[in-house]
Amino acid sequence: MSSIPMEGASARPATLHIAGRAASAELRRWSKFIWVAPLGFALVITTLYPTIFLIALATTKSTLGKPFRAFVGMRQITGALLDPAFQSAVFKGVAFAFASAIAELVIGFALASLFVALARAGRYLLIVVLLPLMTPPVMVGVAWKLILAPSGGLLNGVLMNWGITDAPISFLATPVPAWLSIGVADLWQWVPFVTILCFAALVSLPDGVREASMIDGAGPWQRLRHVTLPLVAAPLASIFLLKLIIGFKLFDLVYVLTFGGPGFATTNATFGIWRLALEQFDVGKAAAQTLIYAVVISIVTIPIVRLHRFASEHYS
Amino acid sequence: MTRPSTRILQAAAALVAVTFFLLPIAYLLSVSFKRKDDVLSGSFLPNDPTLANWPGAFEATSLATFIFNSVVVSILAGLVTIAITLPAAYAMIRLGIGRKLLPQATLASYIAPPIVGLIPFFFLLKMVGLINTHAGLILIYGFLNIPVAFWLLTPFLRRVPVEIEEAAALDGAGKLRTLVSVVAPMIAPGIAATTIIVVILSFNEFLLASGLTLSDAMRTLTVGISLFQGDRLVNFGQMAAASLAGILPIYLIALLMQKHLVEGLAHGGVK
Repeated sequence: MSSIPMEGASARPATLHIAGRAASAELRRWSKFIWVAPLGFALVITTLYPTIFLIALATTKSTLGKPFRAFVGMRQITGALLDPAFQSAVFKGVAFAFASAIAELVIGFALASLFVALARAGRYLLIVVLLPLMTPPVMVGVAWKLILAPSGGLLNGVLMNWGITDAPISFLATPVPAWLSIGVADLWQWVPFVTILCFAALVSLPDGVREASMIDGAGPWQRLRHVTLPLVAAPLASIFLLKLIIGFKLFDLVYVLTFGGPGFATTNATFGIWRLALEQFDVGKAAAQTLIYAVVISIVTIPIVRLHRFASEHYS
Repeated sequence: MTRPSTRILQAAAALVAVTFFLLPIAYLLSVSFKRKDDVLSGSFLPNDPTLANWPGAFEATSLATFIFNSVVVSILAGLVTIAITLPAAYAMIRLGIGRKLLPQATLASYIAPPIVGLIPFFFLLKMVGLINTHAGLILIYGFLNIPVAFWLLTPFLRRVPVEIEEAAALDGAGKLRTLVSVVAPMIAPGIAATTIIVVILSFNEFLLASGLTLSDAMRTLTVGISLFQGDRLVNFGQMAAASLAGILPIYLIALLMQKHLVEGLAHGGVK
């Protein structure tokens, strides 16, 4: 029994060799893909699969218990597009993302410049500033809720002790102050992130740049406008884009601080969809809204991505 | 070089900033030592401090379970993320696989808001029997944080001189050996920073955890705290204590690793 394979092997050594080499080259080509295969699989699960699944849900009557009950075509999608409550939720989501990203970039950049100017002390301050960034948004919400509480909150206590107001203000129960409160909590959480990234961009500037412009006698504003800003334009555009994307995802602070209220005043797209899916179990409608929101985000992000590309090509 | 008046202005601005960033945490700490009627007094410090809220918070909810769940899920998810991302990022840079596709695909995946995944993940985990389990959350978080890890790790990998790897190859080390025993130790600070950041992201996540965990035994800390504050009998002191107990592990990590963290954030985010 053992002699047969021995004979066979000795009979065709040449062909086996060539075939073996071709096979191993093929194997090596494929084995290279093993390096990225798990990542590819993960991206399929987190991006491609949800997209297809959402399209299937959006075009069928679906609940959390029983998905895909009946095909309804585009009815849910057009329904969501024409729903004024959803339109306003999308608008709020987009407006908040832009407003918070702009405000936080300005404040974060100013803080980073301050920390750079403070040299050693600035680096210690950077560590303090890490804390909000590490705090879970749910806990950030709890902390600010305690500060803003109408009866016995810190802010109302201070305002009344100083005689600024007579009666406590319900910050979270009035639409505009409620949004401002969410904004302040978001600022508290994310300005540190922007500050650290701006700080990194600023300290990586060559030393000579600043000194040269000092000798030229340029004032601080001119220096900022004509020397520093062009040099950090590319990283600033990245940071803006990053914060904008984070802003579109706003959910936790709304959940804890206002639960979308008063009424639907602070219901942004993410929170509205969450309620639709997990409280009313209308998964089909929620899927249609999710798809629309994702498309809107892509459309409004494109100019910013372009701007970022422009900044990286022209200023670095 | 700098005028004294400018110095004073800078110090004042820094003081305002630090106060703003420390105030909510300090207030949370203060409220956690306040008695029930003292909470509503509107003063910053407790008038009659008590320690009762801390054990009270652990008795009123399954706080210890929530913290345990969060720690286990976020650490294991972090390891899943790194185990998948490090070889892929390395292969992209050194073997040229997916040099165009990988950055674009990861960015696209990062832009999609988590709400996109909520419903599909719910049905997927239900189908494979992982709904309401640690393993389900670990896989979802581990996969979802890959884009962040990818963008944080690549700049570190790029800075490894190719000559060192060539020397390792001459010694007969395969690509995997080179990655594990030569490249990884060289960029250990970058890997550490990236791991901490993705672990913190998982620890802090709320939206998906609220939909993918269904029982108290599986709930993570953020979901547990959110339920706590939804209860009708709101005890602010206990809520503050529970929140702080949940933040504490993260702060300890952040303070111990702050040097790596700043470096990781600084090099990864902006390129």
